[in-house]
Amino acid sequence: MRYLLTVICFFGLVTASQGAWTDISEKDFLKTPWAERPRVEQSACIDCHASELIKADYQKIPGEWRQSWHYQNRVACQDCHGGDPKDAAKSMTPESGFIGVPKPKQVPEFCGKCHIGIKDNYLESGHGKALMTTGRGPNCVLCHGSHNIQKASIDIISPKLCGVCHKYDRAKDMKASLLLTEQKISDIGKSLETLKAGLISTQDEDKVLFQTQAEFRTLFHTVDVKLVQEKTGEFSKRLNAINDKVLKGFGELKFRQDFAVFIMLIFIGLGITIFLLGRKSK
Amino acid sequence: MTSILGLSAAGAFAYPLFRFLLPIESGIKAKKLIIAKSDIPVNTTKDLMIGPSPGIIISTKDKGFLAFSKVCTHLGCLVKFDKDRQLFICPCHAGVFDLEGNVVSGPPPQPLQKFAVKVEGDNIVIG
Amino acid sequence: MIQRIRGWLEIRIGLDELIRSQLTEYRVPKNINLFYTLGIVAFVAFLVQSLTGVLLLFYYIPDDKDAFQSVQLIMNHVPYGWLFRLMHVVGSNLMVAVVFLHMISVFFLGSYKKPRELTWVVGALMLLTTMGFCLSGYLLPWSQLSFWATTVVTNIPTAFPFFGEVVCKILRGSEQVSGATLNRFFALHVALLPALLIALFALHVFLVRRIGISAPPFGREEDEDWKEFRHEDHPDGLPFYPHFVSKEAFMVVLYFIIMFAIIALAPALFLPPDTRIPADPFTTPEHIRPEWYFLAPYEMLKLIPNRFMGIAAQLILVTVFILWPFIDSSEKANILKKPRLLATFLVTLVIWIGLTIWGAY
Repeated sequence: MRYLLTVICFFGLVTASQGAWTDISEKDFLKTPWAERPRVEQSACIDCHASELIKADYQKIPGEWRQSWHYQNRVACQDCHGGDPKDAAKSMTPESGFIGVPKPKQVPEFCGKCHIGIKDNYLESGHGKALMTTGRGPNCVLCHGSHNIQKASIDIISPKLCGVCHKYDRAKDMKASLLLTEQKISDIGKSLETLKAGLISTQDEDKVLFQTQAEFRTLFHTVDVKLVQEKTGEFSKRLNAINDKVLKGFGELKFRQDFAVFIMLIFIGLGITIFLLGRKSK
Repeated sequence: MTSILGLSAAGAFAYPLFRFLLPIESGIKAKKLIIAKSDIPVNTTKDLMIGPSPGIIISTKDKGFLAFSKVCTHLGCLVKFDKDRQLFICPCHAGVFDLEGNVVSGPPPQPLQKFAVKVEGDNIVIG
Repeated sequence: MIQRIRGWLEIRIGLDELIRSQLTEYRVPKNINLFYTLGIVAFVAFLVQSLTGVLLLFYYIPDDKDAFQSVQLIMNHVPYGWLFRLMHVVGSNLMVAVVFLHMISVFFLGSYKKPRELTWVVGALMLLTTMGFCLSGYLLPWSQLSFWATTVVTNIPTAFPFFGEVVCKILRGSEQVSGATLNRFFALHVALLPALLIALFALHVFLVRRIGISAPPFGREEDEDWKEFRHEDHPDGLPFYPHFVSKEAFMVVLYFIIMFAIIALAPALFLPPDTRIPADPFTTPEHIRPEWYFLAPYEMLKLIPNRFMGIAAQLILVTVFILWPFIDSSEKANILKKPRLLATFLVTLVIWIGLTIWGAY
C-alpha cells in the first residue's frame, strides 16, 4: 500500500511538474516586448558564472554564450532560464521564474518557448517521438549546442552528429533533398546584399526570404524526407518569385548607372567644347 | 555647339525633375479588396492576400471585422492567430501581438500592420 | 529677335553699359590661373546643394519615427529620387573638397594679405558654416551612422569644465541624441545656416569686387603699398568675358563630371553600410568614424591624451586660422620668397593629410 501510494505520488509529482513547466513558461520574462533593449553585457548571472569561485564547467558558459547568435540578438540568460538578472538574491529563485538546467526530455519545451514552429514540427517527428516516449533521442542541444549557438546551416547534418544513433544514409538523403533549396536561398541572400550595396532597398524581399527560409528549415525538423521533397517544388516557386524581384532590382541598378553615365557624357562633351573654344579665342 | 550641349545637359534633368515632382502612387492604396460578409462567419478567420502580402481577416463578436497583415514585423515570418487566447503568435521567435496589433511580448519592433475595414451593405471593403 | 530683347532691356536697365563694365571691359590679371575659379565652383556647388535639398524637402519627414523611411522612399519609390539624393550626398562632399582647395590656393597665392584681410575672415566663417551644414545634414537620414557620429561630436564640448555640459545639452535638445536633436539640426540645416551662408557670401563677393581681384604674386617685381583705398585694376589684363568666363565654365563642368562619375561608378562611396541601418539608440556600431573632412581633427583629439587640452588646442587652431591675415601681416605676397611660411604651409598640409589617412584606420 505504501509503495503504491509512493508510486502514485511520484507520478503525480512528475505530471504536476510538467504542468508547472507550462505555467513557468508563461512567467514574466516572456511577457514583455523586448525589441528596444540593449545587448546584455553584464548581469547578476554573468557576475557569478564568470567568477573564479564557480566550478570550471559553469565558468566557461558566459564566454560560450558571448560567441553565440543569441548574444548578438540580445537574448540573455534570463530569457531561457528565467530568474532576475538584476538582483543576485532573486536570480535563481522559483518565484522569479528560474528554471535551471532542463533535463534532456524538457529541452524541446525549453527551446520551444520561443522557437514555437520548430518545436511543433520536431515533436511530430521521429526524433521528437523517440525522445518523448523512450527518453532517448536527439534534442535541440545535440545538434545546436546549448550556449554557443550559431546560425543554423545545412552543415549541421553530418556523419558525426547524425551517425550517433543510426546509419548516416538517411541523413545523407535528407541533406541532398535540402541542398538545392538552401543553395537557392543563399544565392538570393547574396544578391540582396549586392542590391543593398547598390543602395536599393530590399526590406520587403528580405522579409519574404527570411519567412521562406524559416518555413523550410522548420519543415526539416519533421525529418521526413518525402515531405521535404514534396514541398520543395512549392518552395522553389516562392523563391523564384523573390528572384524575379531581385532581377528587377538589378535592372533598376543598371538603369541608374546608365543614366548617370549618360549625364556624365553630356558634361564631358560640354567640357571639351568649352576647352576648345577657350583655346581658339586665345 | 556649346548651347546645344548646355541645353541637353539641362534637358537631361527636366524629365527626371518632372517625374520626381508628380505624386507617387502607393501600391497598397491603389486597390481595395472587397469580400462578401457571408464568407466570414462570426468568430472565424480568413487568410487571404491583402495587397502584395498575406493577410488575415477576423470576424469578432464585439469588435466587428479586423484586417491585419500576417507579416511579423520582426523578421517577416507569418503569424498565426490563436483563437483561444485571441492573440497573434509568430512561430519563429514567439513574437506576440494583441487584437489591436500591438506588440505584447517578444522581439517585434513595430505593431502588426492593420488595414482599414468598412462594411458596405453585404460586403466588407478592406484598404 | 535677340537684338530686340537687348534693345528693350537697354532702355530699362542700360544693358550695354552693364555688359561692358561687368563682362567685356572688366579685366582680370593676365596670369590668372584655374585656381581662381574655385570660388565660383564653390558657389555653384552650394546652388546644387540648395536645389537638390529643396527637392528632397518635398519628401523628407524630419521626425525620428519617419525620417529613415522617408529617405528610403526617396531612394526607392520616388521616380529619380535616387538621382537627387545622390547628387546631394556626393555634392556635399565635393563642395567641401572645392572649398578646401579654394582656401588652400588663396593661402598659397597670398591673396589674404592687405587689403584683403576681411575677405579671408569672411571666407573662414563661410568654411565654418559649411562644416555646420555637414554636421547638421549628417544627422537627418537618422541612420546608425548619423545617430552615433552625432553622439560623438556633440559629446566633444563636455570636455570644458563649467559650460561644456550645457553646450552639449543645447546642441542636443535633450540628454541623449533624440528626436529633439533631429528637430534642431533640421532647423539649422534648412533655415539658419542657408541664411547665414548667403549673407556671408554676399559680403564676400562684395569685398572681392570692391577691392578687385588679386593677381598671382609670382613674377611681380614689387608688392603694392596700400596706404589708401583704391580698386585694384588690371588695365593690361584679359577681359572677364570670354576668357575668365570660359575658365569658370570649364571648372563648373568638371565639377559635374566628377559628381556624375562618382554617382555612376561608385554610388555608395559616401554611404557605407551603417547608413542603411535605422538609428538604434541601444546598439553602438563597432566603428564610428566621422566623414573624411573631420578625420584630421578627430584623429588629433584621439592623440592628445587630455580631452580638455585637445579641444582647447583645436579651438586655438581655428582662431589662428580665422585671424591668419593678422598673424602673417607682412605685405609680401609671394610665398616662394618666404621659405619659413612655405615650410609652415607644406608641413601643415602634410600633417592634415597624414592625420586624415590615419583617422581612416
